[in-house]
Amino acid sequence: MTNGANIPLHKRLQVLQDRFVERAQGDIQTLCNFADLIDRHHLERNDLVACYQLLHRMAGSAGTFGLPELGAAARVIEKQIKPLAEATEDSVDDKRDAVSVPASLAGAIRKLADLIQNPPQSKDSVAEPANDGEDSFGGTHGMQIHVMALAHSPDYLSGLVAELAVYGFLCDVASFSQPEAAVTRLKEHSGATIIMCVDSELDDVLSFRNENLPKAEHRRFPVVCVGHDGSFESRYRVAARGATAYFCEPLDMPEMAERIESLALERGSRLQGRVLIVDDDKELGEHYSLVLSRAGIKARLVSEPFELMSELSAFEPDLVLMDVQLGGYSGVTLARLIRFEPRWLGLPIVYLSSEDNPENQLDALAKGADEFLVKPVTDDYLVRSVRIRCYRARQLSDLMNRDSLTGLLKHSLIKQEVDKELARCRRSGHPSCVVMLDLDHFKRVNDTWGHGQGDIVIRTLANLLRNRLRETDMIGRYGGEEFLLVLPQCEPRIAAEFIGAIGKSFAELAFGVGDDSFQVTLSAGVASINDFAVADQAIEAADQALYERKHAGRNGVTIYAR
Amino acid sequence: MGSVDGRHLDKIMYVEDDPDIRAIAELALQEVGGFTTRLCSSGKEALEVVSEFEPDLIILDVMMPEMDGPQTLKSLRHLPETRLTPVVFMTARIQSSEIEEYLALGAIGVIPKPFDPMTLADDIRRLVKEQVSE
Repeated sequence: MTNGANIPLHKRLQVLQDRFVERAQGDIQTLCNFADLIDRHHLERNDLVACYQLLHRMAGSAGTFGLPELGAAARVIEKQIKPLAEATEDSVDDKRDAVSVPASLAGAIRKLADLIQNPPQSKDSVAEPANDGEDSFGGTHGMQIHVMALAHSPDYLSGLVAELAVYGFLCDVASFSQPEAAVTRLKEHSGATIIMCVDSELDDVLSFRNENLPKAEHRRFPVVCVGHDGSFESRYRVAARGATAYFCEPLDMPEMAERIESLALERGSRLQGRVLIVDDDKELGEHYSLVLSRAGIKARLVSEPFELMSELSAFEPDLVLMDVQLGGYSGVTLARLIRFEPRWLGLPIVYLSSEDNPENQLDALAKGADEFLVKPVTDDYLVRSVRIRCYRARQLSDLMNRDSLTGLLKHSLIKQEVDKELARCRRSGHPSCVVMLDLDHFKRVNDTWGHGQGDIVIRTLANLLRNRLRETDMIGRYGGEEFLLVLPQCEPRIAAEFIGAIGKSFAELAFGVGDDSFQVTLSAGVASINDFAVADQAIEAADQALYERKHAGRNGVTIYAR
Repeated sequence: MGSVDGRHLDKIMYVEDDPDIRAIAELALQEVGGFTTRLCSSGKEALEVVSEFEPDLIILDVMMPEMDGPQTLKSLRHLPETRLTPVVFMTARIQSSEIEEYLALGAIGVIPKPFDPMTLADDIRRLVKEQVSE
């Protein structure tokens, strides 16, 4: 039954993975054909069912073969098609009738192809916790922020969102006359989407959100309102109805972009954190884990207490959810054991317990835990309380690790990222770049327009970088107006083109002060990390290239040449 | 045979219509897990060979054409050899209501898909161990 038993396991896994990729490519081709039929309104009922079944299979299998992103994307589309397919199965109509499917699903299906053409690199092992941990500082960029303007007649807002698009947001205009199209587009994005409207239509927008989006998800779709009346009464009215922000004409675009950026980061589902569940009741633990994963929180279950410390290091959670009594072990003692290690002193530990006696709870809190959740907890309550605590824990660690003005990594941390990337390049041989980026004539900006404006310029560039770079890229504020980027899996020439395009967008932004406005350009130096023995030399080389760029007239990108 | 006492878990029957998943599960159960494994591509095939293979545990994919996982489980319960054999479902649907439904049918556990081939065998051992300690 086993062929080639002497071939090592990982090779055989690899063979199966390759075979899966081949088949998935075929499946995606089939799905793309369905997508074409959707566009031409020729998709038949039985096609829809076939499409659903293919997606269901892909959602359930891709992760096993080391393509979790593909599986997750297929799952998202599967969920949207499911109600349509089920309605079809119950229907008595001819199976060959054409069915109406939102065009956005066709787009989403075609995007699956990208996930298989650029599969993540960790192929030798399907579940490698080390790779998993790499996103501990990521998660705030690589997710392009979606802004949707919603109006009865979208003329005014179209101009506004076009201006916002310059800041790197993904902008969209929808009309009330086509609510379904708007809803599908809103549901396509997993992160937050900012809904924008004029104040006279706020009520319509809010009832649109109530009718079309599940209440639990309203947090992800904050409504931002624009108007002409800046009086207290008018602002109060807007706030009372439930808008999250209000901007009054004349609009301050950088400030608005800034607010949208921070709203999206706060509301986005990406920041929901990582939870280690410690429970000897495997079934219950798995249930918690499922509930949390479904809400977008990464959860891992430890049911053997002796594995706790190694799982902590491998998974690096934001929070530990611990049962008070685990077979022969005491959760209280385990919490104390966790605190033995200085690196986990700040890790929030929350007890799950049926202990409702406040005296005993207090006793446990004194011994190292932070809070209690009393069993039984409802799924919804579990998700919400874990999410809030993760968010707070992230805020605390961000305060320590991130620059307060820009939210980017601090100097020492971005340098560490260069070190780590250099090590990864050596292991796998892929090319990566470091980029040193600097604002041109920044001193003049500060001197002419004041330091407040200077800060806005820096923050705006930080936001633009976050919006345009990939999630795997790392961004740090290196010095006053200097930024250091690490771009993994990227050739210097591509990096230079990419940064050049960002520079061009940035130069187009007008910063307004009263009636005046000014523009700022940037210069960048690119160096290939692979060419150097230590990280500092690569940074030095990027700095050298930046220096050359400054001498060659600024406003552009230079690649380091030995 | 039939009831598993936790110390004796060797022969596993795995029923799944997707050939790629069958192949990787074979590695996961046999090479990583050290079980003796018998693969079946449908509920019908499982019913035909189960008496001869005498598995200690049966894993059923939920969604299969013709005879799905729950139907297969019901038929297995009618055979004297597999009246008590522990059954685990595997599914890409992760709604807790469905999981409870499968457990109510008499499965000892549900493994969500996608599964990790490196930990599948451990997951199964753990499910069985918990069953025994109950």
